[in-house]
Amino acid sequence: MSKPAAVRSGFLTKTLNRRLKSHAAIIAVAMSGFSIVDAAQAEDASAGKPLSGGIIRYGHFQEPPCLYGGWVQQWYLQRQFSDNLVARAEDGRILPWLATAWTISDDRKTYTFQIKPGVKFTDGTPLDAQAVVDNINGWLSDNPELENPTAGPYLRGVFESAAATNPLTLNLTLKTAFEPLLNVFAQSSQGILSPTALKRGKAVNCESPVGSGPFIVEKWNRGKNVIFRRNPNYNSAPATAKHQGPAYVEGIEWRFLADPTIRYGSLLTGESDVVYHIPAANWHDANSRFKIVRHLTGGTPLRLALFSERPPFDDVRVRQAFAYASDRRSAVQAAFLGSLPYEGNFALSQSSPEYIGELSKSYSYDVEKANKLLDEAGWRERDANGTRSKNGNALIIRITYTNAFSPPDGDQVLQIIQQQAKAAGFDVRLQPTNQADFWAGKNLGPNDYEALPLYWVAPGAEIYRISYKPDLNGVRNPFNPSRYQDLPLWDIIQKAEQAADKTQRIALYQQAERRIVENAPSLSYTVLDVTLALADNVKDIWLDSGSVGEPVFSDAYFTDKK
Amino acid sequence: MSVATSSAGNAKAFTTATVTTGAGNFPVSLYIATVVVAFFLIAAIAPKLLQTHDPLELDLMSSLKGPSLTHWLGTDQSGRDLYSRIVAGTGQSLSIGLGATALSLAIALMLGVTAALSSGWIDNVLSRFFDALLALPTLFLALLFVSLLGTSVSTLIVAVGLGTSPGYARMVRVQVLRVKATGYVEAAKALGHSPRGILFKHVLPNAISPLATMFTLGVGQAIIWASGLSFLGLGVAPPSSEWGALLNAGRNYVIYAWWLEVMPGIAIAAFALSVTVIGEYVQQRFEGRIELP
Repeated sequence: MSKPAAVRSGFLTKTLNRRLKSHAAIIAVAMSGFSIVDAAQAEDASAGKPLSGGIIRYGHFQEPPCLYGGWVQQWYLQRQFSDNLVARAEDGRILPWLATAWTISDDRKTYTFQIKPGVKFTDGTPLDAQAVVDNINGWLSDNPELENPTAGPYLRGVFESAAATNPLTLNLTLKTAFEPLLNVFAQSSQGILSPTALKRGKAVNCESPVGSGPFIVEKWNRGKNVIFRRNPNYNSAPATAKHQGPAYVEGIEWRFLADPTIRYGSLLTGESDVVYHIPAANWHDANSRFKIVRHLTGGTPLRLALFSERPPFDDVRVRQAFAYASDRRSAVQAAFLGSLPYEGNFALSQSSPEYIGELSKSYSYDVEKANKLLDEAGWRERDANGTRSKNGNALIIRITYTNAFSPPDGDQVLQIIQQQAKAAGFDVRLQPTNQADFWAGKNLGPNDYEALPLYWVAPGAEIYRISYKPDLNGVRNPFNPSRYQDLPLWDIIQKAEQAADKTQRIALYQQAERRIVENAPSLSYTVLDVTLALADNVKDIWLDSGSVGEPVFSDAYFTDKK
Repeated sequence: MSVATSSAGNAKAFTTATVTTGAGNFPVSLYIATVVVAFFLIAAIAPKLLQTHDPLELDLMSSLKGPSLTHWLGTDQSGRDLYSRIVAGTGQSLSIGLGATALSLAIALMLGVTAALSSGWIDNVLSRFFDALLALPTLFLALLFVSLLGTSVSTLIVAVGLGTSPGYARMVRVQVLRVKATGYVEAAKALGHSPRGILFKHVLPNAISPLATMFTLGVGQAIIWASGLSFLGLGVAPPSSEWGALLNAGRNYVIYAWWLEVMPGIAIAAFALSVTVIGEYVQQRFEGRIELP
């Protein structure tokens, strides 16, 4: 939403004043020898609340092509300007947000939500049951202007209808029971946007989306930053929030600082108050200097999806051999220097409730086993370089990667896998692809790669529906980059989704988990994390760990009022 | 030691280095530059002669070790020996430098000579074309070609070669025009020599000779351009140790493991500086500003 020039000017003036005051405060402290104002002093003595004011300068990594959408980098942004129907606590409990209460029918197919009264989008449109219905119908439509690339693959197969039975009551009917429904609604990509604003078209909404959240998108300066301004009328914080009402800070300057060294340096020099993703080389230093908040994201781990639709990875023995052929644990340690954990459970990240820890020990580095499996699979011939071949075809593995899915330090893991796998006879070729080309599909055609590093985050195992749903009735699942077609696995996943009993559901998901690891359609090495380093004078920034760790700034405040 | 004198009697004319050795009166800087270039040429042709380790051999227990007697220039994130990787990357870096400069000069010769000899509207069109390309930064042109052709050694050669050719083309055009206006060309015309004979016997030999200098100067510059592209992640795919790719790989470690940035940077600077010193010397020889001892 475009703001009048006077408003923008006022906002920028405040930003400037804040910086000048900040510098003045630093000089004053240096001259007087007094310590920085203690956090406790920031509490408003009369009200017992944190002081309001200041603009958080946040240094982020990736800049998405749109301010909302299916990529998790877009979720982080959307969390600032929109609210969800429900919230999910870190322990998995579903808590009220825009829906104050809900009931589920005995057959688990009908959900009735009560919508919080008095909530408005920041363009003035009432946020009522019909607005939520409009959003859901848009998500699941074929209209590219409205469809939601996260909600779509989760819900299209199970959703029947949504209706507003009165202004504040929403009825949602499913074709079959789908227990992860509320988990899906709790993810920021399912934030509710103003139906009025959505009518402006995707191009406009990408630039200036309108929600009911704690901040308003004031301006997106592409390549530089997104300016968020506080929503002064915010009255719909989730039950997981630390306080209700408008944010304490006046806004966020969400800067895109792609270079990790520059990003971390901006925190060191005081140019940023908070930064995302600490470079591995600075991990120990950051822990000694700053408060670190982090969430290891659930869902699938950071993994190499192995293209299983054609040779060589159509043979499970070759996939397993590739897993045995590299010491991924040591590679992760060398590349990330302790800043990220090893994850050897190919199916699920360690923060997922259904995670089986012992599976992380699968496929330990064993070149002998790799060689034996490849011999059995018929890849027996070797050329002068040691590369195996079968029927005249060399055992070449092309890995297409981009920093959209592989963190900068992760390139090193791929190089280590490349070198180690040589011993087993794999000729691994790396295909670095810049982000723009990657999104345009370069090196991603069905004959362009054998492995692709990626993640798909979620609270837990519900992600299987997206990542491992086979092609059914001639409809291709575009979110299954390993092209792994396993109907028995799909059957287990569906049973888990329909199991009302939590213990039974987890057991079924774990059955699927073991099957995925055994058949190795992908090969994991670490997890996606959300890690923030905070300057000393910023408090109460938290990560939405019940979802996928989106940074939350609406409870944040400066201890030295800026 | 003595001071070199130019043919014009101006000792300061040879600015590259005025300190010379007794043996042969060549400047010391020229000797040093020659040794450096010779080292890198050996590294390019027979890298195994100079490598102390397998440049691809992993040693995860020796990750990010500083320079030592075992690893002269330290190790990278995977424990690979940085000195051996720089040596291994020399071939690719020099191929890019030599290939790109050769391509650039070939294009420049073709278009520059055509423009200068044709005069009239062809010259105008080509000259404006050179001007238009010169208005675009070389890196932008190179980025454009990399985007279109993908990343590989040959792409870098083409990208840098095409990107740097407009400047050379304009120089060639001016050289040819200058030679065309000389008295001996006029004399050849008066004596009834054929246009073809004048071109190949008089104009081209005299116009092209300064290009030898431009070539040596251009090689160093081309390596820097290619390194810049690799540093931006648009160069050769890993695990290549092309010098720019080494810089790119080490940039996140600039504080924690300085050698990953500094050592490949020194290799690039040393080679570019050395070929520049040699190029300047050759240039001054051609211009007669310095005499052989």
